[in-house]
Amino acid sequence: MTDAEFLLWVRGPAFNTALFIMLAGIVIRFLEILFLGRKTNLAEARGSEVAGGFRTILRRSVPDMDSFHRSGFTIIAGYVFHIGLFVVIFLFVPHILVFERTLGISWGGLPSNIVDATTVVTIVALLAVLVHRIKDPVMRMLSKFSDYLVWLVTILPLITGWMAFNRVGLSGATLIGVHILSVELLMILFPFTKLSHAFTLFLARWYNGAIAGYKGVQS
Amino acid sequence: MSGASFERGYNALKEQIDAPVAAFLSSCVHCGMCAEACLFFTETRDPKYTPIHKVEPLRKIWKQEYTFWGKLGKALGLSKPLTDQDLADWETLVYDSCTLCGRCSMVCPVGNDIAYMIRKTREGMAAAGHAPEGLIGATKRAVTIGSPMGVKLPALQAQIRHTEQEFDVKVPVDVEGADYLCMLSSMEIMNFPEYIGSIARIFKQAGVSWTLSSEAFEATNSGIQIGVSDIAAELVQRIVDAAEKLKVKAVISPECGHAYMAIRWEGPNLVGKKFGFKVVHILEVLDELRAQGKLKLKDRETQKLTYHDPCQIGRRGGVLEQPRNLLNMVAENFVEMPEAGKMNWCCGAGGGVSSNERADELRLKTFARKKAQLDAVNPDALMSACSNCRIHLEEGLEEYHMDIPLLSLTETIAEHLSEK
Amino acid sequence: MTGITNESEFRQAIKELGYDQQRVLAAKFVEHALDLCSDKRIADVVRIAADSNASHDELAGAFHTARAAAIDSHTRCGSEGDWQEQAGYFVARAAVSAVTPEAQLAGASAALQAAMSCRMAQTSKSIAADDDRAVQETQDQYRILSEYIAS
Repeated sequence: MTDAEFLLWVRGPAFNTALFIMLAGIVIRFLEILFLGRKTNLAEARGSEVAGGFRTILRRSVPDMDSFHRSGFTIIAGYVFHIGLFVVIFLFVPHILVFERTLGISWGGLPSNIVDATTVVTIVALLAVLVHRIKDPVMRMLSKFSDYLVWLVTILPLITGWMAFNRVGLSGATLIGVHILSVELLMILFPFTKLSHAFTLFLARWYNGAIAGYKGVQS
Repeated sequence: MSGASFERGYNALKEQIDAPVAAFLSSCVHCGMCAEACLFFTETRDPKYTPIHKVEPLRKIWKQEYTFWGKLGKALGLSKPLTDQDLADWETLVYDSCTLCGRCSMVCPVGNDIAYMIRKTREGMAAAGHAPEGLIGATKRAVTIGSPMGVKLPALQAQIRHTEQEFDVKVPVDVEGADYLCMLSSMEIMNFPEYIGSIARIFKQAGVSWTLSSEAFEATNSGIQIGVSDIAAELVQRIVDAAEKLKVKAVISPECGHAYMAIRWEGPNLVGKKFGFKVVHILEVLDELRAQGKLKLKDRETQKLTYHDPCQIGRRGGVLEQPRNLLNMVAENFVEMPEAGKMNWCCGAGGGVSSNERADELRLKTFARKKAQLDAVNPDALMSACSNCRIHLEEGLEEYHMDIPLLSLTETIAEHLSEK
Repeated sequence: MTGITNESEFRQAIKELGYDQQRVLAAKFVEHALDLCSDKRIADVVRIAADSNASHDELAGAFHTARAAAIDSHTRCGSEGDWQEQAGYFVARAAVSAVTPEAQLAGASAALQAAMSCRMAQTSKSIAADDDRAVQETQDQYRILSEYIAS
């Protein structure tokens, strides 16, 4: 396969397939969760479920002081790579063009050199997070094959993207092709691994807040 | 419990999985933050006590029964099925090292209510016959005798007689049409019978119409501790029957954390019907009396006091303001411990842990967390509103050579009532 | 000096006693109920509490011993209660009251607390034996107080 064929394939059929699997997967995951339902609460309510749910969705992003002291590294490194991923994925002009092509909407981006620097910071944060996962006894005990797989498919697009942008390594076209392929791998795995937390956490935080809010506790 | 089998356990776990459980398990990213919120981990540093790890049996079943890839993997024989040995291995994690305190549920960054899931996991464990001896015994006694500690009506009547003589009060029993039906916990009847005298004195002064029931006086619910909803429902139904028979407006839950959770929040859902009466914690009643100006004190506590929020009353129950209002009324020098309120650290004994002799050593180890909280404040006395917290805290203070007396909030208020 | 015959006289008379006197009186109450308690440590605690010349260290040691005895003898949550054993728990609690340092009492009456706990101990024994001896305990306490005041 020539570079051009590869690029056409990866931008065309492969992308459409990956997108389809990702969207279908997200729908399946949502339905799997929601179809299980929740029993109506017959106890007399003290507070509002709805208010509680929304509040926890927002407030759970801010850790309490004691947790921050105890899990400072996890929290800070976590925020660094999440914010980094957000900047790299959504505020990089070439990516915004892809969104425009696919969704028909676009928005302003950041200067590419800033995104480039952010990519490096994010890669470093992810490396640190991996080391932590391997070394920390709790995380080591909890971690399974899929945790490491997910880490790999998250860092690959960053590394290949950085390489493509900085023209390091393979030929430009191949690099971009490989980068897009790595993103497609991430898309396929997204709904079926813990990466799904990106959308299911809204449900989880909602239920948590609703259950607590019903009893009059802000969680 | 009779009829326990792995199959029953498996099905019980399956039944327990609802949308919240699925949302929680889908979102867990194995960050380990829940461990640092759990005193069983923080005081032992043993990773197996990580809260989310305790629900592994539930997670396995969720994955294999309710997820696309999980079901596929199971059909193709690619996944490891849950075994009876797994449940046996998890018994100490689910029962000895968890009080259902819910602190983990407050810190999980993706919002998982892990205590909610551990409570559900217990349903499967119990149905499979993997629950601690002490809890099984307590549950049997609760069902057959009416009290997990075997307290029978004559014993309660003797305590009532003693109370009436000592405090020159009347303790009403089986009074139809009273406003409040008071429940008691066996722990109070046996270890802290002053509680009966305290509520009698307070209600006498405040002119509250109340009664006990000779047919249903036990507030605690071993069915919930062990995780057998049918038994839990039966125990709640006894209270409902008594409340309906006596036509009371409200049922008062005593100074016992899990009793409040059982009757206030789980109760109607266990019996499948809304209650025709309100359910309140004694602290809620006392706070209402305070707000109405019906509590007249002759003096106040002067020693430096701090308050331990029982988990099931505060964080999991929603009664957080009321004890503070009451403490500000009865104490001149009330100070809060660090992390007081909804983030309070569990005493370490609830949820069946103190009924379980096997967990004694672990339970006492966890007290170090409470000690750290107390050391930060250095109080003259520690106040709480749960008899189980009280007895365990007393044991912990003794074990760690700390000279701090334990007080009950209700009893303290009664002690300071003005002589009418 | 007429004897104490009712509860309000009982409480009033105790209220008028100082901390050290209450300690000695409390010890007498506990001693009277000692047969209900199988823990040998309590007898030692009573002996120290009854000694008006007991040193600060001896009292502190007795306090720890009594507290440990009370904790050891309580019925743990969910376990099968034995009212006979529970009587011992209340006697231990009475002993704790007898040797609680003044500062920790925070104005409460050691002798009254001890008296109430001893009555509770008898109530427990009554529940176990299904009889009615608790009333007798109260009368005995009136007599003990009367004799103490007279001496």
